[in-house]
Amino acid sequence: MRAPDRSPMIGRRGFVGGLVAAPLGMAAGLAAPGLSAEARAAEPAASYPFHGVHQQGIATPAQKYSAFVAFDVTADSRDQLDAVLRAVTDRARFLTAGGHPHEVGLTAPPADSGVLGPVVPADGLTVTASVGASLFDERFGLASARPARLRTMEDFPNDALDRDQCDGDLLLQICAHNSDTVVHALRDVMRATRGGLQVRWRKDGFVSPPRPSGTPRNLLGFKDGTSNPAAVDAASMSELVWTRATGDEPEWVAGGSYHVVRLIRMLVEFWDRVSINEQENMIGRSRDTGAPLTRTHEFDDPHYELDPTGDVIQLDAHIRLANPRNAESKKQQMLRRPYNYDAGVDANGNLDMGLIFACFNQDLERQFVAVQKRLADEPLVDYISPVGGGYYFALPGVRHAGDYLGSSLMKATA
Amino acid sequence: MHGTGPSKPVMIGFIGAAVVCVIAIAAVVSIATHPSSAHRSDEAITANLDGCGKGWQPTSAGIQTLTVANTSVSGMEVYLESASTGAVYVDLENLGPGVTRSTRVALAAGRYRFVCLPADADPARGPVVTLSGSTSGVALTPGIRPVTRNDLIPAAKAYEDWVQSRLPVLVADAGRLDADVKAGELDQARSDWLTAHLEYETLGAAYGAFGDYDAEINGMPASGHTAADDPDLAGFHKIEAMLYSGAPSTQIAPVTSALVSAAAELEANFPSARVDPLDVGLRAHEILENALQFELTGEADAESGTELATVDANLTGTLAALAPLRGILATRYPQMKQADAAIEQSRTLVESFRGADGAWRPLSDLGRPQRQQLNASISKTVELLANVAAICDVRRAA
Repeated sequence: MRAPDRSPMIGRRGFVGGLVAAPLGMAAGLAAPGLSAEARAAEPAASYPFHGVHQQGIATPAQKYSAFVAFDVTADSRDQLDAVLRAVTDRARFLTAGGHPHEVGLTAPPADSGVLGPVVPADGLTVTASVGASLFDERFGLASARPARLRTMEDFPNDALDRDQCDGDLLLQICAHNSDTVVHALRDVMRATRGGLQVRWRKDGFVSPPRPSGTPRNLLGFKDGTSNPAAVDAASMSELVWTRATGDEPEWVAGGSYHVVRLIRMLVEFWDRVSINEQENMIGRSRDTGAPLTRTHEFDDPHYELDPTGDVIQLDAHIRLANPRNAESKKQQMLRRPYNYDAGVDANGNLDMGLIFACFNQDLERQFVAVQKRLADEPLVDYISPVGGGYYFALPGVRHAGDYLGSSLMKATA
Repeated sequence: MHGTGPSKPVMIGFIGAAVVCVIAIAAVVSIATHPSSAHRSDEAITANLDGCGKGWQPTSAGIQTLTVANTSVSGMEVYLESASTGAVYVDLENLGPGVTRSTRVALAAGRYRFVCLPADADPARGPVVTLSGSTSGVALTPGIRPVTRNDLIPAAKAYEDWVQSRLPVLVADAGRLDADVKAGELDQARSDWLTAHLEYETLGAAYGAFGDYDAEINGMPASGHTAADDPDLAGFHKIEAMLYSGAPSTQIAPVTSALVSAAAELEANFPSARVDPLDVGLRAHEILENALQFELTGEADAESGTELATVDANLTGTLAALAPLRGILATRYPQMKQADAAIEQSRTLVESFRGADGAWRPLSDLGRPQRQQLNASISKTVELLANVAAICDVRRAA
């Protein structure tokens, strides 16, 4: 860990696509401006359809609990990889719908762990599968089909990446309304793929409820995700999230999305010793209301044009760097779907907590990477430390009962 | 299993089929079928021992939800079997008096009946019921003929005989180790230690039958201690810690002497010990469960770095436990081929970490991809072997 240097307020880079990221709203509404608090607090769906052009867990309103689990593929042939992808699909199809586990009689231990009782509820479960750049090495004959912008995540200037918590061949983002459902799904999928997948890293997350209203808060105490694009808006999803099979992209990627995960530790003890004014200046928003410092309400436009020299919202405030609200930055918006994490303590007894920053991008370079570069050395970097994560590509959706995750990739390289 | 220090755990089986006392009063079993996608019948059905399962009137093959109530005053076990093959699809074990339990089963078209097995009375068979209709798209519950104590006793006996034939080898190996320690030939002693330890590590289904000798010979350090600093630890891991930390031979000699004595006593006493018939099937997967838990984590290592040699011996031990079960499994476990392939693949992988000179690479020398391959291969193997334990659970003859 580098020595913090608060006075010049320049140091480590920060919150990836945005510290101010949060669930796309617990309900249908995302943080779309003008949406009533009641609408955002609507009951979440009991289940999400598994089959579709896109995978669930992307435009899906963020469920309360998540596990981000990156695996390395230990299957030693292309056929075995194919079997692993089919097994993940079969289990995800069952688990996201819910139902009775298979009865094995006297011949085997129970097929299900029983963690959710005798009948498995869907409980809003989504299992989103994304592939990492390493899957496209020489092992499985996939090299020619690598999504054009997929690569091993680089170290950004303020990063402190531990490669044991980075990368991986296959990322599963498992989300549900309850944490037992997440754990149950993880155990089930791992058991079905035993021998073919080994966990590389894992981080569990949660979304806080609105406190007291509006966008949920991160563990710095700030509302995070206020300016996220609306996942209910098909047009913006089509412009910002779903990757197209154009240019140098292989055909099979259509309907998928570049999935970025960053494990960002927050140095919360240090942060809690920072004055409220300094905190708010670094973020650019009021901590209590979430409103940009130039305005009164959370979803107000900050109108940077009226504050061109940064008298109110300083020019290197997080929200201003992340989204300067100009024509260019409109195209750089990404669909953020972050979770808070709380993972015990470090060797010195400091709390290990922070943000699992997750976002989906039509174009990794145009969106996440461009914004991330702009955030380099923002003042906030002294209080956060990106330690893990990676770049992945969320596979296109599973279209029907005979289809499986990655089928288009496997066909394209057959 | 109780010795100077905790040894590797041997899971205790939960079978003991009908340990429940029964008073010979006509037990009454009522069986109700509940609505399901494949079958609808809301009517509760009651039967007594003379007509176990009488009144079960399902209308079609497929998924059945069965609610069985033991209205007698004694414990009972209830099977649902094929009247044609004797294969059992449902085993409600230890159904206490007055207890109602539901279960689901997916049955193909065919002829079935219930069998009621009170603890100390002969089984009573219910009337044969015929199920018909298509079950395409339904994942059917597999049925097997129950494996009985009588089936397993010869297997346990064959395994005992094999273990007994290996014990003189263990005693001789321990004797060589002891002699070389006493002669101050510690390089040779380290080699002897590995040979003797690996011999013991092939006997993994007998540890329960070894009783206290297991802890004396192969105990692990107590919680909060290492093999080096646990004053109560004896056996292989204690000797390993001493041989690999520069202890003088005079300090090691009493421990190797004790090992020789323990091994010799074990050899002398083993003919009167009994390998529990349950243990053979159970240990078929537990030997490698232990390898995953203690060897592939490095936890059992006391500085020799011979974890992979131990895993290799454990694979041999697993095959030795499976050998007498082959006949039982042949008609009951269609995935045995895959299990054997997984064992073989694991063995090839583990032995790839042995140099041309015979030296094993220490676990700590391996990189992440190699550790992942090992963990994946052994994990897949135990996943397949777990079914052996389930199938070889001791059950009553129907």
